Amino acid sequence: MRSKSSPARARTKSVVGDAREVSRAVELIRMGARLQVLESEIALSRERLLRLYKEVAGVSPSKGMLPFSTDWFMTWQPNFHSSLFMNLYFGVSKATGIDRVDALVRAFRLYQEHLQLSGLPEVLSITRAWRLVKFFDAKMLDAAACTACGGRFVVHKYEPVANFICGLCNPPARAGKTRGNQGLGIAHAIVELEPKLDELVA
Amino acid sequence: MNNEQLLNEIREANLSYMVLVQNLVRRDRAEAIVRIGLSEEVADMIAGLTIPQMLRIAARNVLICRFRFDDEIVWSLLTDHGTQAATKSVHAAILMAGQPVAGVT
Repeated sequence: MRSKSSPARARTKSVVGDAREVSRAVELIRMGARLQVLESEIALSRERLLRLYKEVAGVSPSKGMLPFSTDWFMTWQPNFHSSLFMNLYFGVSKATGIDRVDALVRAFRLYQEHLQLSGLPEVLSITRAWRLVKFFDAKMLDAAACTACGGRFVVHKYEPVANFICGLCNPPARAGKTRGNQGLGIAHAIVELEPKLDELVA
Repeated sequence: MNNEQLLNEIREANLSYMVLVQNLVRRDRAEAIVRIGLSEEVADMIAGLTIPQMLRIAARNVLICRFRFDDEIVWSLLTDHGTQAATKSVHAAILMAGQPVAGVT
């Protein structure tokens, strides 16, 4: 539980440290993090975070609770998205002296970069990514190696994983046939048509 | 292509590789580890090389970097452009990101 006297909050006496927290907060807000993420990870007062949020995002933070279920990470599409993020997160965490926020931001940037390259929609938000990390810390989620491809995927902690096969090696029958992906198909069609349209215009 | 040309190409590849590692590490060390697939120590070591040192290392008759993915599954996922290409690229990315980093022993 958060408390006013936590060491993270007491640390921000120095101006430089304060400036660093502000820039980290701004980075998280730009990535679309909810206020709860900032409250938990950034050593600034709630009032300052709120003002910062309004200034950077241009709107008041949305109210309401965060999604708290671990089950979301188990469904097919979210699972491979969160597994990609998790692998990247563990990768950047190998650097010495990197803390959770730094690792989160870097891994999320790499994740976004990858989706952009492969033309996939961003399924995992920064807030979900942060929840994922917290679920790992709380030992509610774990990583299991797929027995077919060897990749590491997000699973429930204490789930039997001796014969685990990931959702990408063994996709469910209607995997990837969501409305979102149909939109993607249209986007692909437009990209393919565009040069032809240019020819017609010229 | 004669032998001298080949040696030139090896040297250029070696040099570009080291310069790229230096640029990546200087920009962001944590990100660099994932992108390069080297351990922090090796990445730091390359980042600390001077230009004369790099030129000396580059001017060998062998490549100093090697292929990161000796896994057949990653290969087939990367080369397959058939259906579900986007999902396959994510699958490959998961396997690649999960690979252990190479270091010195």
